[in-house]
Amino acid sequence: MTVKKGLSYKEAIGEIEDILKQIENDEPDVDQLSEKVKRLSVLVTWCREKLHQTEEEIEKILKEIEKS
Amino acid sequence: MAERLSLSELNGAVKKVLATNFTAPVWVVGEISEINIHSNGHCYLTLIEKGESEDRIVAQARATIWSYTFRMLRPFFETTTGQQLTDGIKVLLQVSVEFHEMYGFSLNVRNIDPTYTLGDQALKRREIIRRLTEDGVLTMNKELELPLVPQKIAIISSPSAAGYEDFMEQLTNNGNGYKFYTKLFPAVMQGNQAEQSIVEALDRIYPYEDFFDVVVIIRGGGSQVDLSCFDNYNIAYHITQFPLPVLSGIGHEKDDSIADLVAHTRLKTPTAVAEFILDGVAAFEDRINLMQQETISLVENRLEEEKNLLEDLTGELSKLVRDQLGNKKRELMQRTWRFQQEIKLTLQNSEHRLGKKLQKAGFLVDRIFYVHRQKIEKARNMIHVTIPGSLQGKREQMDHYLLKFRHLSVRGIGNEIHRIELAGQKAMLSDPANILKKGYSITTVRGILVKDIALLKSDEVMNTRFSDGAVLSKIIEIKQSDKNDS
Repeated sequence: MTVKKGLSYKEAIGEIEDILKQIENDEPDVDQLSEKVKRLSVLVTWCREKLHQTEEEIEKILKEIEKS
Repeated sequence: MAERLSLSELNGAVKKVLATNFTAPVWVVGEISEINIHSNGHCYLTLIEKGESEDRIVAQARATIWSYTFRMLRPFFETTTGQQLTDGIKVLLQVSVEFHEMYGFSLNVRNIDPTYTLGDQALKRREIIRRLTEDGVLTMNKELELPLVPQKIAIISSPSAAGYEDFMEQLTNNGNGYKFYTKLFPAVMQGNQAEQSIVEALDRIYPYEDFFDVVVIIRGGGSQVDLSCFDNYNIAYHITQFPLPVLSGIGHEKDDSIADLVAHTRLKTPTAVAEFILDGVAAFEDRINLMQQETISLVENRLEEEKNLLEDLTGELSKLVRDQLGNKKRELMQRTWRFQQEIKLTLQNSEHRLGKKLQKAGFLVDRIFYVHRQKIEKARNMIHVTIPGSLQGKREQMDHYLLKFRHLSVRGIGNEIHRIELAGQKAMLSDPANILKKGYSITTVRGILVKDIALLKSDEVMNTRFSDGAVLSKIIEIKQSDKNDS
C-alpha cells in the first residue's frame, strides 16, 4: 500500500482524520480495522519521512530556480 | 554718489540685521531633501518646502548639525520615530539663523522634535491604509490559507543582513530535524530603493507560486532600523495581491509598518518567523502522532471490548444452556415424579376397584354356587327318591338297543363288501385294453375319436387302433346305416 503521487500534507491529514473518525464512530468492523490502521500508519509514515528527509526532486527544482 | 560698501561690509550688515531679529532659536518645519554625514561627524542637510502640488519647491535652505549635537540628536530621533534621519522625511527643527560672510545663509540645528515626524508619518500611514481599504485589498493576503507545513520558503531579504543569517540558522539547525527548502530573492531593504527592489523580488517569486508554500520578508534586527520604507503603498499593495501567504519579520519592537499590517502574519524578528514556521511544522507532526496514538488506543480498546463482549456472550450462552438444561431436568424430574404418582394412584384406584369387583364377583359366584348347590342338592334328593325304579327300566332298554345295533351293523357291512366287489369287476370290464382284446377297435380321424360316421369324408386317412397295433387306411366309401338299424 502506497500513497498517490503528489499527495499533499492536507490530503494526508484529511484521510488520517477520516480514518480516526470512522474508528471513533465504530464504523469499520473488526475485520476492516486492521486495514484502516495499516492505511493510517502508511500515511503517518509518509508525512514523517516528508518532514525529515530531503527530496531530491524538490532540490532539483530549487536549483533550476537558482539559475533563472 | 551713493555710499559704496565692500562685500564684507554688506555681508556683515546682513549678519547684524539677522542677529538682531533672530536673537533666539526658532522652530522650523522642513523636508530633508539631502543629507550628508561628514567623516568628522558633522551633518549637512538641505531642507526644502514643497508647494501644494508637491512637485514644486517653494523654499530651500542649508542646515548644519554639528557633530556634538548630531551625536545626541540622531539616536534620540531614530529611537523615538523608529526610522532613520534620512532624506524624504519631514522634520521639525529648532534652528538658530546664521549668516556667515563667507558661506552665507545657513541654519544651525540645535534640536529636533521627533513627534512631528511621527505625526506626519502616521498621517501618511493613515492615508495609505485608507487607499488600500478603498481598493478592497487590505486583508487579502490574510485570507489565504497558511499551509499546514510551510516547507518550501521564498525569502526576500538582503543577503548580508544579520536577520537573514539568524533566520537561516534557526531554520536549518532546528532541533526536530525538519527539512526545509529555502531560496533567497535578494532585495534592498531600506532607503528609497527598497520600494522598487522589494516589488521586483515579489515579481521574481510569482512564477513559482505553485512551488513555494510561503514568502518571508525579513531584515536585520536591532533598533537602528528604518521602517519608513515599509510604510509604502506600492509594497503593501503587492503583498496583498500575492497568491502566497507572506510572513513579515521586518523587525521593530514598537510599531507595525504597513507591510506588517497587510502581511498574512506579522512577526517581530526574523528569528520569530523561523520559530513560527517550526512551531507550525511541529504542531503538524504532533497532530499526526497524536492521531496515530489515539487510533492505536481506540483500536486496542475496541478489540478489548470485542473480546469482552465475546467472553460475556460465551459466558451468557453457557449459563443459559446450563440454566435451560437445569430447568428441563427439573421439569423432567417433576413430570416423572408426577407421572409416577399418577400411575401409582391410578394403579391403586384400579386395584381398589378391581378388588371391589372381585369381591362383588366373589359374592355373586358364591351366591350362584350356593343357589346351584341348593338346586343340585334338591335334585339329588329327588333322584334318590324317584330314580332307582326307572333307572332299572332304562338300563334294560339300553341293552336291547345295543343288541339290535350290533346285529344291524354286521349285516350292513356284509352288503357293502359285496357291492364293492361288483364295482371292481365292472371297472375291469370297461378298461379299453380289455375291450380291444375282445376284438373291438378304436378309430380316429384328424386325432378325433370317431363315434359318428358323419364325421368322416372320402379319401381321408383313418387311424384304427387294435390291441396289438394300429392301421392307417383311406376311406373309399361311406355307407350310413339307417337309423332304425341301430
